[in-house]
Amino acid sequence: MIQAVMVISTQAKPRLLKFYNFQSPEKHQDIVRGVFQLLSARPDSVSNFVEVDGIFGPGTKMVYKHLATLYFVFVFDSSENELAMLDLIQVFVETLDKCFKNVCELDIVFNFNKLHTILDEMILGGQVIETSSEQIMKSVEEIGRLEKQSSTTSLIPKSISDRFSR
Amino acid sequence: MRGLSVFISDIRNCHNKEQERLRVDKELGNIRTRFKNEKGLSPYEKKKYVWKMLYIYMLGYDVDFGHMETVSLISAPKYPEKQVGYIVTSCLLNENNDFLRMVGNIGGKEFSESLAPDVQKLLISSSCRPVVRKKAALCLLRLYRKNPDVVNIDGWADRMAQLLDERDLGVLTSVMSLFVSLVSNNAEAYWNCLPKCVRILERLARNQDIPQEYTYYGIPSPWLQVKTMRALQYFPTIEDPNARRALFEVLQRILMGTDVVKNVNKNNASHAVLFEALALVMHLDAEKEMMSQCVALLGKFIAVREPNIRYLGLENMTRMLLVTDVQDIIKRHQAQIITSLKDPDISIRRRALDLLYGMCDITNAKEIVEELLQYLNTAEFAMREELSLKAAILAEKFAPDLSWYVDVILQLIDKAGDFVSDDIWYRVVQFVTNNEDLQSYAAAKAREYLDKPALHETMVKVSAYLLGEYGHLLARRPGCSPKELFAIINDKLPTVSTSTVAILLSTYAKILMHTQPPDVGLQQQILTIFKKYESYIDVEIQQRAVEYFELSRKGSALADVLAEMPKFPEREAEDAEVDTAEQSAIKLRSQQQTSSALVVADHPSANGSAPAANHLTLVKMPSQTVSDAQEISATYEEAPKPSVEAPNGNGPIEVESKATNITEINNEIKVEPPTSRSTSPADLLADLLGPLAIEGPPAAELHPAQGLDANQSPVGDLALATLEDQSNSVQPTVNVEEKFHILCTKDSGVLYEDPHIQIGLKAEWRAHHGRLVLFLGNKNTSPLMSVRALILPPSHLKMELSSVPDTIPPRAQVQVPLEVANLRASRDVAVLDFSYTFGTALVDAKLRLPVVLNKFLQPITLTPEEFFPQWKALTVHSLKVQEVVKGVKPMPLPEMANLFMSLHLAVAPGLDNNPNNLVACTTFFSEATRAMLCLVEGIHQGTFGRHPKDSGSPSSCPSTATIAFCSTCHIQ
Repeated sequence: MIQAVMVISTQAKPRLLKFYNFQSPEKHQDIVRGVFQLLSARPDSVSNFVEVDGIFGPGTKMVYKHLATLYFVFVFDSSENELAMLDLIQVFVETLDKCFKNVCELDIVFNFNKLHTILDEMILGGQVIETSSEQIMKSVEEIGRLEKQSSTTSLIPKSISDRFSR
Repeated sequence: MRGLSVFISDIRNCHNKEQERLRVDKELGNIRTRFKNEKGLSPYEKKKYVWKMLYIYMLGYDVDFGHMETVSLISAPKYPEKQVGYIVTSCLLNENNDFLRMVGNIGGKEFSESLAPDVQKLLISSSCRPVVRKKAALCLLRLYRKNPDVVNIDGWADRMAQLLDERDLGVLTSVMSLFVSLVSNNAEAYWNCLPKCVRILERLARNQDIPQEYTYYGIPSPWLQVKTMRALQYFPTIEDPNARRALFEVLQRILMGTDVVKNVNKNNASHAVLFEALALVMHLDAEKEMMSQCVALLGKFIAVREPNIRYLGLENMTRMLLVTDVQDIIKRHQAQIITSLKDPDISIRRRALDLLYGMCDITNAKEIVEELLQYLNTAEFAMREELSLKAAILAEKFAPDLSWYVDVILQLIDKAGDFVSDDIWYRVVQFVTNNEDLQSYAAAKAREYLDKPALHETMVKVSAYLLGEYGHLLARRPGCSPKELFAIINDKLPTVSTSTVAILLSTYAKILMHTQPPDVGLQQQILTIFKKYESYIDVEIQQRAVEYFELSRKGSALADVLAEMPKFPEREAEDAEVDTAEQSAIKLRSQQQTSSALVVADHPSANGSAPAANHLTLVKMPSQTVSDAQEISATYEEAPKPSVEAPNGNGPIEVESKATNITEINNEIKVEPPTSRSTSPADLLADLLGPLAIEGPPAAELHPAQGLDANQSPVGDLALATLEDQSNSVQPTVNVEEKFHILCTKDSGVLYEDPHIQIGLKAEWRAHHGRLVLFLGNKNTSPLMSVRALILPPSHLKMELSSVPDTIPPRAQVQVPLEVANLRASRDVAVLDFSYTFGTALVDAKLRLPVVLNKFLQPITLTPEEFFPQWKALTVHSLKVQEVVKGVKPMPLPEMANLFMSLHLAVAPGLDNNPNNLVACTTFFSEATRAMLCLVEGIHQGTFGRHPKDSGSPSSCPSTATIAFCSTCHIQ
């Protein structure tokens, strides 16, 4: 099963943390720091696999993708196929790209709630529930529509969130 | 969501952590006030605040309120609110959270049992929307993991088979996850589903009827293909010839039809499928033809440019070592694998190391070990320890000749001394001691290393030890006269640490003894050193110096005492260490009769004359599949440690004393053992000093008497008596003793752990009742059988243990509640007799349960106005007791307050006006006494003439404390 999904910036800031095996909140920051240290030491053009027994316990593996200023990290146990997990990161990223049209770190910073929504449509309780980014988008859009119906205030469009960028 | 964006933007504008904290605190305050008046909150606002809480939580701040509001979103009428409620609740709270239990009784066994039938209905119902059925499948999987009984209903296998006919690939993916979990526990029940899985693979591989959205870079759902092949790996074999043929056709197509392409994502996806197919072929142990095809493919993979594929190629090759008859084909790739040891990626280097370790045998050991040694020069620190351990094990296991083994280990220490654990050098010493042919060779090598300018301290230890023992064998060689040996070793003395000094002193004594005829100059030099160390700060060294000094004036007696080390007993002989008292008595008697001096060398080794070849097989190799470093080090820990021969460190030994003294010394050891067996080198030396230590009871059995333990020593004896007769080969991986003590002051934690099982404990206490839950967690991928648990309660406790299942399924956790009632006060402790079998090994552990007196205490706070009248009102003398305990270990006040708190005593300020005294109150509950008020007071003593005010902050200065104990007892 998948144990954790993390998005960490190259500045070591967590952008998304989701643990499917409960980790006490005190440990979160240690985990982020530990993972970041491992990743930042890795040059480009090496494999996407890192052994993380020291952080998540024996038998756990981690795959990551380094895209622009972000690390996308999946941690899982021996019951998952490493490359399939790497594919899943790609699905996640492609879905984000569809959702935000050419996604950048700021989209992810300001729409961290949307990230959770997308992830929730993709992984449930540590198991993959949907692998088609079209299907995921459909569900996310539907939630967006329902949201608009139920409240007068809408989600902030991207143009506004850009204003906050520095 | 505007408010959320503004908040995030504010946080981003903070220049430092302090500003961020202030902003977060402000926001938390704001949310708290808004939540207080919940009626005024719109659903939108509620969502906004809950998201903010999650954001703050992600930043690493504690969010300890608002859980109610989050959970209440789940029951909101609109889906968007519900969805947010679920997401945030799942992040903030876990299923063991009391709050969640309280609100929804979520997470318990009853919960899963009552929910499962409904979830199953949803999953099977064809009228449900796909999205609901997907979630139902995963929900059932989760429930099944918690409680496997939820799908034990008859006919479920048929339903599963039907579910595998599903056309919707989204639903099928979730169903497959559920299926993998089910078959991993019990493949036999699902034989009927096997052909269905093959059918699914055929459908996907032939790309029949696959909707566009489920192809990923042109490959029909790689995830489903992978999961399906994973499920098939849980069936031992495939007997149905049709299914088998069809499956092999598909596998053949995957193996042959996958090429490396330019698009990275497509490559990853196709190789995900390919590697899973390889694993399945390996599992099914296909015809040799297909297997060699696999090895050929892997050989190709480990040389490609794409690092991910190289990594997986190496990993799968390591797994392939398990399959018979392919080792030789794999060996052909040795050169390429060695190249991977120099890969820029540490992940790949690790895989290469594992593979080389696994494929090493007598034919290629020299080459591989030498590569590892070379690699050691450049390897990063993170890998050096593992690397040196592996090199040491391979050298020992496959050494073509013994001198090569000695060479390798000495090189290892020289190159990576910091990363060579003590066990490795103990082992080489042991080897040399037990193989006479090797002794002069090893001594000569040690002498060579001493000429090097910068020497690692471990090297100094080995060299000094070896030269002390066997230096005299070199006497005729140039530069090896006793005088020269002494000079070169003595050069190192000023720079080494205490533990090495101890070894050096022994070496000097040995050199002195071997110098025949005596060399007066050398003797003077050495005696001066002994004299100098007689007042050394470390007591061990001081004692050695004094004793060696005395001994060296005894002339021939010295030769008796410092005779050559006897051979080390074989591994199995370790049990001899745990001699029964009877046996040691016999040995003791025979010593008394034959000798009037301490004839250390006479100690018979259990199996000392074993041929050298036997020795090579002593180290149990970790299974070739898992090169689990833990296992390796466990193997090493089993190795008996060599000890430096020296008088026993426990009592003053007078050489003049005759046999009777030996008895005394022994008695002394029994009474006052060295402080438990710790792993620090100095302690090891102290522990293992000569046979006298062996004759006495093993140190580990005895109880460190300090703090809490002082109260519980009778308890300790009781439990230890039972612990002693354990004949387990499986050893706990935690310090059981220590865990017990931790649990005495805490209510949840680990009680016991070994490589197969972890036993956790959680306890709740109310008056004289307690409810404990034992969590038995199977850590393996195969079940633990014949699980038994029996409570041996002392007479003052009534205990009722719920039934324990006979088998614990793989990776499952079983909860066993235990009810306790305290009848009266006592210091006895209940013991849990726990046993299980794993494979052929029977493991039996007797564990003390932390149901101790202080658990039945309930802290209360009393003011002087409440206490004193009550105390005085009790006129009947038998209703109160007051006791003073003196000589308690001094302790700083805050520490003492913490200790009181962890023992369920509430610190009550004001009962004593002196700020240096600490008073705590509690009530003790038992069936016989009901509630009994207790007061404990720590009184500061011994700073006469010094006003507390002068001592700065009195709370931080360690005070000599006495504990006054008084209690009133009134039946309510």
